[in-house]
Amino acid sequence: MINEPQLHGSKTEELIVEAGEALRRRKPSRMVRIGDHVKREWQLYLMLLPTILWLLIFLYKPMYGLQIAFKDYSIFRGVAGSPWIGLEHFQTLFGNDQFLRAIKNTVIISFYSLIFGFPMPIILALMFNEVLHQTFKKTAQTIVYLPHFISSVIIAGIVITAFSPSAGIVNTVLEWFGGESIYFLTRPEWFRPIFVGTGIWQEAGFQSIVYLAAIAGVSPTLYESAVVDGASRWQMMWKITLPSILPTIIIMLIIRIGNMLEVSFEMIILLYQPATYETADVVNTFIYRQGIQGGQYDLAAAAGLFNAVVAFVLVMTANTISKRYSRTSLW
Amino acid sequence: MSGVTLEKIVKRYGAVDVVHGIDLEVQEKEFVVLVGPSGCGKSTTLRMIAGLEEISDGDLTIDGRHVNRVAPKDRDVAMVFQNYALYPHLNVAENIAFGLRIRKEKKDKIAAAVDEVGRILGLTPYLERRPADLSGGQRQRVAMGRAIVRRPKVFLFDEPLSNLDAKLRTQMRAEIKRLHKRLGATSIYVTHDQVEAMTLADRIVVMNDGRIEQIGTPMDLFLNPANTFVAAFLGSPPMNMVKARIADGAQGPIAQFGTQTIQLARLPELANSKGRDVILGIRPEFVTVATADTVGQVKVEVDLIETLGSEALIHASLAGDPFVIRTETVGQMAILDGISGFTIEPHLIRVFDAQTGQALPGQVLEQ
Repeated sequence: MINEPQLHGSKTEELIVEAGEALRRRKPSRMVRIGDHVKREWQLYLMLLPTILWLLIFLYKPMYGLQIAFKDYSIFRGVAGSPWIGLEHFQTLFGNDQFLRAIKNTVIISFYSLIFGFPMPIILALMFNEVLHQTFKKTAQTIVYLPHFISSVIIAGIVITAFSPSAGIVNTVLEWFGGESIYFLTRPEWFRPIFVGTGIWQEAGFQSIVYLAAIAGVSPTLYESAVVDGASRWQMMWKITLPSILPTIIIMLIIRIGNMLEVSFEMIILLYQPATYETADVVNTFIYRQGIQGGQYDLAAAAGLFNAVVAFVLVMTANTISKRYSRTSLW
Repeated sequence: MSGVTLEKIVKRYGAVDVVHGIDLEVQEKEFVVLVGPSGCGKSTTLRMIAGLEEISDGDLTIDGRHVNRVAPKDRDVAMVFQNYALYPHLNVAENIAFGLRIRKEKKDKIAAAVDEVGRILGLTPYLERRPADLSGGQRQRVAMGRAIVRRPKVFLFDEPLSNLDAKLRTQMRAEIKRLHKRLGATSIYVTHDQVEAMTLADRIVVMNDGRIEQIGTPMDLFLNPANTFVAAFLGSPPMNMVKARIADGAQGPIAQFGTQTIQLARLPELANSKGRDVILGIRPEFVTVATADTVGQVKVEVDLIETLGSEALIHASLAGDPFVIRTETVGQMAILDGISGFTIEPHLIRVFDAQTGQALPGQVLEQ
């Protein structure tokens, strides 16, 4: 045991910290600070301008059309000329078994995608980070990034071919092992695993770039310090890499939760068929069928608005919870 | 014995040698400082001792054990890094405990060790804070806490104070010195700051271009630099260098520069070097200011006088070379106004060979 007198922290340091806190307490109002910041960093705000314009033109201006969710919309009378009918479309939707089924499917598919799809890019990034052989690492990265750049139509074609009952590789392998050929894409119970699996195969590699970038930002001296302390590579991954990229993981999770109801619409359109509607039909495909194919734009707008409100509530909730428990949040 | 021995240690990157076969023996409980300019190989040497860099050639022993191929964790060393290397997601107590947790020590032992280290370093009030909520000095103390909590055989410090401001650096320097006295652990400290080296070290190792220029106690290196590099590197302001030629004088060897001469010590090596081109090393502190009526003075052209309170720096030129004199100000202000040159005891002048830069043999200034 060391029984020597203590070394004490500097009084000067304490005073500096206190002075800093006092200064923060006397800071000017938020608006004044924002104004000062705009004046000082006007070049940055100028660069932000195109994005703001894009948001206004393509995301905010179309919100004007949302009102048709509360109107008996006619393309001849236009948005403004159509009569108000209150919540009638919402009552119709919630009385519609197909819409309720679509909500259920959306939630289930989103949940599966989140549970199985969200951790995959993180696992991939951690694995890539552990690969020391640079050529192997680069080749493997290219291979897993590749599906992201392939059109969904081609991806769907590959999936349909792979699961084909006559020539598909999956059924061929099944038959090798003495199994019977299954027409997977007409069986409702197989739609969700195939859809979620396809999504992971297509996007996990590309999404891992965000986490690889976050890992690259971790100071190498943290690892060196841990090596001297005796940490193994496994311990460093758990105790340094993962906690260091946790803020990135949380931000990505919040964004993911916000987009939870936006399941890959085009992939479902390409893969589903009436036989699998029971498990495959989601809110967006319901909107597509009602709005575009059925010409019920007002009913589809009501369904879309409902989708957006739920997504908004989800992202707000996730952000609040994250802010409270992990000090990390989108805003 | 927890000493560290480096024998012909080489670090090679591809075909380029950055450390050229250095030999160094650090005794148990000794505080050795590796000092030198950026890129001289001092940090690389420290990292080889830590096991963070592979040793290309030579032998490294710690506590009598050959450790070239031993993993860092099994060398029983702890390292304090320049940028603290604190885990931002862990609080102070968890940061200090990290090494013990990795080694799966018992929880009560870890808690006791963290408490003790917190008390020693004055960190007890901050144990629950995260690094982001600490000042630079407090972070540095946490980094030291992480190192001392394991009670390793050897402490390695890689420029631990260079991220701190001047005032904190002075304070932390004293704390490191006190800590070393209390713990008595073998310590190897890397810095490019010669003040840190002079104040902390039992022995200083001056490195340049991957080689050791000189090893010795701080005062030995200050008084008896082996070459012009060491002479110029240690001391603030650095030693003045004046090009001269040795000649015979009435009272022994003299040095001629321009139209002036200066008496040198009566040493055989100097007396036998008539006509040799040399560099005179004159410490700014060793000279006495002279006014117009002082006999036997060396005249200088004064450019500027910097008054620093208790002392002043006189910036002048001598035989075309810059020359700095450091002198006390108390009772001397009137003299400073009329300064015309300086006088110096012959034995305080260090004479280096102009070709090799090495000090001529036989010159030893006692402390």
